[in-house]
Amino acid sequence: MEKRELEGAVVTKVREVISAITNAKHVDEVVCALHSIAALLFPLDSSLISGSIEEFYRDKVLRVKIPSDEERHDWWDAFYRGVGFPTLARFLLHDVAPNWLGCFPIAAQKHAYDVFFSHGLVSEVVQILVPFLQQNGSDGLDVSTVISNSERLLVLCLLENNGVLQLAREFGGPFKSKGFTNVQIRPAVSRVAQIVASIPDKARMNTLTSLSSQYPLFALPGLDIIWVCMFFKKIIVQLLSLAEERDMTLLENVDMLDEMDKNGALLFVGELFSRISRRGFAELLSSELVLRVLRLVKKCLSSSNHSSTKELLESYPESMCWSRMMEAIRDPYIIERISEQILHQLVTHDADDVQAYWVLWLLFHRNWKVQASIRSIFVDKFLLWKVFPVTCLKWILQFAVHECPPGNSLSGHDRPRFSNIVERLVTAWSKKEFVQTAPIEQQAYISAALGLSLETMSKEELDGMKNSMHLILQGVSCRLESPNDLVRKMASNVALVFSKIIDPKNPLYLDDSCSQETIDWEFGFTARKIVEKTKTSELPSIDKDSDFPVNKEKSISVKSKKKLLDFDTLDPDEIIDPASLNLESDIDDDDDDDDDSASENSYSSSDSSLQPYDLSDDYSDLKRNFTQLTDIVAALRKSDDAEGVERALDVAEKLIRASPDELKHSARDLTRTLVQVRCSDISVEGAEESAEEKRQRALVALTVTSPFESLETLNKLLYSPNVDISQRIMILDVMTEAAQELAESKILKPKQPSTRETSSLISVVSDTRPWFLPSSQGTPGASSWKEVSGTGAFQNWSNTYERELPPKSNQVMKGKTRRWSLRSPVAEQNQMEFSHNKFPMYAAAFMLPAMEGYDKKRHGVDLLGRDFIVLGKLIYMLGICMKSVAMHPEASVLAPSLLDMLKSREVCHHKEAYVRRAVLFAASCVLVAVHPTYISSALLEGNVEIASGLEWIRTWALDVVESDTDRECYMMATKCLQLHAEMALQTSRALESAKSSFKSSPALPSDASKVTIKIPYLNKD
Amino acid sequence: MNKKKAAAPPDPVAVLRGHRASVTDICFHPSDRILFSGSADGEVRIWDTLQHRTLSSSWIHSASHGIVAVSSSSSLGTNKFVSQGRDGTVKVWDFAHAALSRSPVLTIKTNTYHFCKLSTVKNPKYFPTKELGRPSHIEIPDDRRQDESAAQSCSQSSEGLQYVALSGENPSEVEIWDLKSAERFVRLPSSIISSSSGVCNKDRGMCMALQLFLPSESQGSMNVLAGYEDGSMLWWDVRNPGVPVTSVKFHSEPILSLCIDSSCNGGISGAADDKIVMYNLDHSSGICVIKKEINLERPGISGTSIRPDEKIAATAGWDHRVRIYNYRKGNALAILKYHHATCNSVTFSSDCKLLASASEDTTVGLWELYPPA
Repeated sequence: MEKRELEGAVVTKVREVISAITNAKHVDEVVCALHSIAALLFPLDSSLISGSIEEFYRDKVLRVKIPSDEERHDWWDAFYRGVGFPTLARFLLHDVAPNWLGCFPIAAQKHAYDVFFSHGLVSEVVQILVPFLQQNGSDGLDVSTVISNSERLLVLCLLENNGVLQLAREFGGPFKSKGFTNVQIRPAVSRVAQIVASIPDKARMNTLTSLSSQYPLFALPGLDIIWVCMFFKKIIVQLLSLAEERDMTLLENVDMLDEMDKNGALLFVGELFSRISRRGFAELLSSELVLRVLRLVKKCLSSSNHSSTKELLESYPESMCWSRMMEAIRDPYIIERISEQILHQLVTHDADDVQAYWVLWLLFHRNWKVQASIRSIFVDKFLLWKVFPVTCLKWILQFAVHECPPGNSLSGHDRPRFSNIVERLVTAWSKKEFVQTAPIEQQAYISAALGLSLETMSKEELDGMKNSMHLILQGVSCRLESPNDLVRKMASNVALVFSKIIDPKNPLYLDDSCSQETIDWEFGFTARKIVEKTKTSELPSIDKDSDFPVNKEKSISVKSKKKLLDFDTLDPDEIIDPASLNLESDIDDDDDDDDDSASENSYSSSDSSLQPYDLSDDYSDLKRNFTQLTDIVAALRKSDDAEGVERALDVAEKLIRASPDELKHSARDLTRTLVQVRCSDISVEGAEESAEEKRQRALVALTVTSPFESLETLNKLLYSPNVDISQRIMILDVMTEAAQELAESKILKPKQPSTRETSSLISVVSDTRPWFLPSSQGTPGASSWKEVSGTGAFQNWSNTYERELPPKSNQVMKGKTRRWSLRSPVAEQNQMEFSHNKFPMYAAAFMLPAMEGYDKKRHGVDLLGRDFIVLGKLIYMLGICMKSVAMHPEASVLAPSLLDMLKSREVCHHKEAYVRRAVLFAASCVLVAVHPTYISSALLEGNVEIASGLEWIRTWALDVVESDTDRECYMMATKCLQLHAEMALQTSRALESAKSSFKSSPALPSDASKVTIKIPYLNKD
Repeated sequence: MNKKKAAAPPDPVAVLRGHRASVTDICFHPSDRILFSGSADGEVRIWDTLQHRTLSSSWIHSASHGIVAVSSSSSLGTNKFVSQGRDGTVKVWDFAHAALSRSPVLTIKTNTYHFCKLSTVKNPKYFPTKELGRPSHIEIPDDRRQDESAAQSCSQSSEGLQYVALSGENPSEVEIWDLKSAERFVRLPSSIISSSSGVCNKDRGMCMALQLFLPSESQGSMNVLAGYEDGSMLWWDVRNPGVPVTSVKFHSEPILSLCIDSSCNGGISGAADDKIVMYNLDHSSGICVIKKEINLERPGISGTSIRPDEKIAATAGWDHRVRIYNYRKGNALAILKYHHATCNSVTFSSDCKLLASASEDTTVGLWELYPPA
């Protein structure tokens, strides 16, 4: 039959069937009609249907003429490629499905209905079925039946019948047989791929039962992603089986690039993979991919003994498909996503270096050769921009930089690309801006990349790269200044590798910790992440435990052998032989002629008693103790007497804490001397830390015991050109610690001779109690106020106080209370009362002089530039001071000037994240320190200074949250914003209450109420 | 008693407390159980070494200068002792029944203000057994000899040999004073011929330690062993005040203490450097030879003493330790740790039973070690 005639026949037949069904009164009529056309198209066994329908129709069914195979094939072709199928399919889906399908016997449904979809041309079927998923029921149809039926058919077609695989074959087919041109096939392929990939979007969220029949029913909307995964996973598995089944017929002849375009199957695979990845399932795809490729590589590696792995892999027929498949994905973004995921998947599969290399090679070696984009993905993006685990980094370097399997000798040959990459790494690594702005993970990653590539380099290669040496040194030096010890460790590791290239016999250890043979390029990052997580929950705080570089710098360790204390040249265990002693005495006394034997005997008998005692000795008692401050000062000044300095440091703190009378006079001297002692000079190797610590503790003690004197000196020294950066940092640390200690100190003082006796007679105008304690008036006989210690780690907004009240007169105590002591009310009166915070009175002395000179650049002092660590520490110290003075009136006085300092551009927008962090910390401290009532009263009085300062904190913190590169910075800024919000809330409350009281009594009720005269309450119990 | 090897060193049997300042020198009474101690604040205490308590205490030199040395010797007589202060005087005291006379028997203005301890005459003594056939008669040069009164029962013929040697007004010189007449007896080197002798120029520095002794071989003329600031040691014979018998240099730092054994045939010296030197004196040839050099880890020996039975020697160290050596062999026997400040002096009692150590920590330790047979 001619093709056109055939098409006409198909259309006629379809029309007949449709009209028959439309007129049908019984379900069997419908089945018969469908069967009549199905029989023409598919090799059906009519008896399968006949069993389930009535006698009358059974004959009709059985009477249907069965065409020959060839005829049937032509019919099928004409039906699916023409208009027949779309017409019938729409009718089937739209009319038959809601009206008749429910009555169909199971066999009939399968063989007379589903067959049109399950055995059809998948590309057509999909194009018809998918739009039905989004049918909307405007014309009174039973929409849900239609949709669920379409879903069921899709599952049947695509998943159960491996429809996607068939799709690929269908697209591969035309290329072989009819020579489709690129132009024709490409749109078709991409359209179908688009439709397939969009199915999960179109499928209804909750009615997926039909599409996920073998999976648990997920009614929860959140879980549909799992179904989507399942759907895509199945599709991916089908497509990947294409490569696994070694069906080379589809993929052959694609070695040439342009031919590749014409291979519909590959086009389809690539297109579909791209779309799936675009929808966020690159991970799924790559995990399936890695699973298979890794299996292949493992099989290959286990079988190969010594022969080249590459040849062996090439000999596997399927091995080439993978590379082609990757090549088929043309979208560079998708390639990047997939290869990234592949690297991560390799890590989760615990691939070793060799396996990983070959997996990467199998997947990407063709792309690598041909496409510049993939080269740049690996060399630029993966090395310079992304952050992978260090194992991945090794693979990337192996594959993309060394371009040979691991274990091959690397150095020696000319590697222009390699040195090019290293040069780029070095350039990026050495920039100061990179250190300042890049997240720490990325810094670690690039340091590792650089270090690992340097490890493979020879001296000649290094020399070949111009500037490299200079750049490395520059990078090392700008890292060594960093306040972050991790960054310093990066520098020292790179420096170690570098020094090994220069002179392998003389490695340079900048740090004690990296003395082991292999360098830890991960910098302990896995552990750090856990720590960070816990840290975020607390108030933003500067990493206090991050050490200062200056202390570390000097620890270029030369391991000196500790000289064994060879105690005495004489052998203590020597046994004195009386005879030998005797003999010797003979010799000694040879001029003593009259030494007779009797005396000798007496010698020998008595000399045997000269057994040595235990001659071991320790020197602990030799350290002379200083008892005078002046002695300490004198000893500290004798820098040549290291031992004396050390001993002076040992006792200094104790002596200062004893707070002798002369302390006030020698405090200045002592402060200066302590700051200027060079601990590194005096102490033995390795013990600097403790000397340093002792010195610092002594200074803290000094600052606590006589704050004004020592602070004067400390502040002078802080900006003096004669101290170095480590001393400046130490000064600030001392001030910080002293402030904290003063804030926490408890002064015991006798209780105010009390409320009852004295205050009843004498009105107290000024109360010595802190203003923030509740007034002591109330029930007489109540005990003094005590602060309720909160559970929170930080100062609460509302401090709560409690006190014991005596029972009221009408209260009857039931039961008995026994106390094992005499506790008279008088005894209670004599109780001590403690004020909590000693710091506020010194706060100004701590803060104001330190804030004065930070922005002046003088000889040796450049806080805003080079000495940024000092600046950070200074701001941190000011923050701590602010925190220590929290809720006291002094806070409100000092806050504006601190905010002024923070506000200045060079401070709050400092290049170093370290400084910005400190500023955030200090700002947060200001927020918690200023009492809301003060803010409200300042507002009422029209004093906007503090308000504008606080507003600045908010805007600036917002700015940081939006634009800062440092993660810790923006996390601290969010916390700061929270604090600001809380403070604003409290202030508005205070404002309201102040306003209401303002109205009722223009003169605000003050502490005057405390002066009320109380009538002595005599009968307490 | 200590047969077992490496027993822990003993603790002091008694600690005499009472001084208010550094105890600078100590000295046992030649026969009684009495110990004299002088301190840096000018106080002298007399202790009963049996009961460990103070018998008497008096400030005999000015508190600002203090006492440099106390000395009691059989040559002075049993009821006398000499004290040397940094106030430029040497005082001879009478004491009876453990009570000190109010004023000194004799005060010599020596005009010396240094730290060198004076030395009384040490003459070859006999061991308590008195079995040895040593010549018990000492020829004392007639022109200098005072009347020998053998008044004291236990003391020997040396009674009355009342000379002390001390570092002179010019501290590089050694002066010997006669305590009877309170006159200077001789100066070494004698100023008249010092120019002719090249040996004793001023390069040696101050005389830091002295020992006056009367060897049996010297026909009764006194000898002096003097240690100098530069570490050298001169052996003088008063018969030849111009030129020393010999000159040796064992130490590199100032010699701080010298001690000669009872037979005057050898001695021990401690200095500010890190060694102790034991040496022999050869009287016939007039040479001093090193016998043993003991190295220390911490320098500074401010006092040395040899027990009268010449078995052990003790040193007082700046390192707060008293060290005991076998005098014959030179090996270390014990390190005595008790004091917690510099030890200034050590001395043995004449019966060899007690060792006393004086320290800057204001205490005096009494030790019993290696009891004599």
